[in-house]
Amino acid sequence: MLPIFYEMKNAVIGIAGLGGLGSNVAVALARIGARKLIIADFDVVEEGNLTRQNYFIDQIGRPKVEATAGNISRINPDTEIQMHRVRLTPENIPKIFAGADVVAECFDLAEQKQMLVETVLTKMKGIVIVSVSGLAGYGNSNAIKTRRISRRHILVGDGETEARPGTRLTASRVGIAAYHQANAIVEVVINEIYGTESGSFNGTRAQNKRS
Amino acid sequence: MAQELKINGVEREFDDQKLPPTLTDLLEQLGINQATVVAEIDGQIVERARFAETKLRAGASIELVRFVGGG
Repeated sequence: MLPIFYEMKNAVIGIAGLGGLGSNVAVALARIGARKLIIADFDVVEEGNLTRQNYFIDQIGRPKVEATAGNISRINPDTEIQMHRVRLTPENIPKIFAGADVVAECFDLAEQKQMLVETVLTKMKGIVIVSVSGLAGYGNSNAIKTRRISRRHILVGDGETEARPGTRLTASRVGIAAYHQANAIVEVVINEIYGTESGSFNGTRAQNKRS
Repeated sequence: MAQELKINGVEREFDDQKLPPTLTDLLEQLGINQATVVAEIDGQIVERARFAETKLRAGASIELVRFVGGG
């Protein structure tokens, strides 16, 4: 049994998209003992992904959900994985991520990011969403920030640097954003959902879901 | 008399009768692609499908979260 954070023993985290953000967020949460990850992505691993996504040469051609599940089982087999190889839509998002405490928005396209965040905020009462805007390229590490937009929405990124054709994407910069995102999730789980030290509620999930 | 909107915490003045009538009009004026924005007015989320019918009133507090690609 790996040493884990007891607050993570009950945590169920949804991860929407398994590219540079999602493949790294999943690993960070499994390492500290998340109970369950609900992972969703329709794509397969491609050679060009390896500059920044947490995959290996022998996984090229495999669905990203399967490759991520395989990597996690080698890090922490106690983390349960629920795989969904689908394109996420406003209709299926509430069903797929039902039961999650927090959802991580790990998409690539701006319109998809908007769709997911709006769907979670309007259709999934009580669930916290951690999203990302502005992480492309390399350098300027300190421009990437974590901000709380509202009680249920946390936003990571520099807010402006867009990935365009020709942008040189790096593991180093997407990794900074992914680990901001994972760190914000850990903070919410420990301080607001399953921790017992917070004075504002008693660590019971039912209370969180109602608020 | 000038009218105001608070946009992402910053007060913005509009000349008399020039307040953008709807959220869609405001985003057009700001040059922001609607498809990339999550909007809140006075703490309430407004779905993108309702931007065009969402009327703005002077004094409203508007939060606009704009997404750019990359991930």
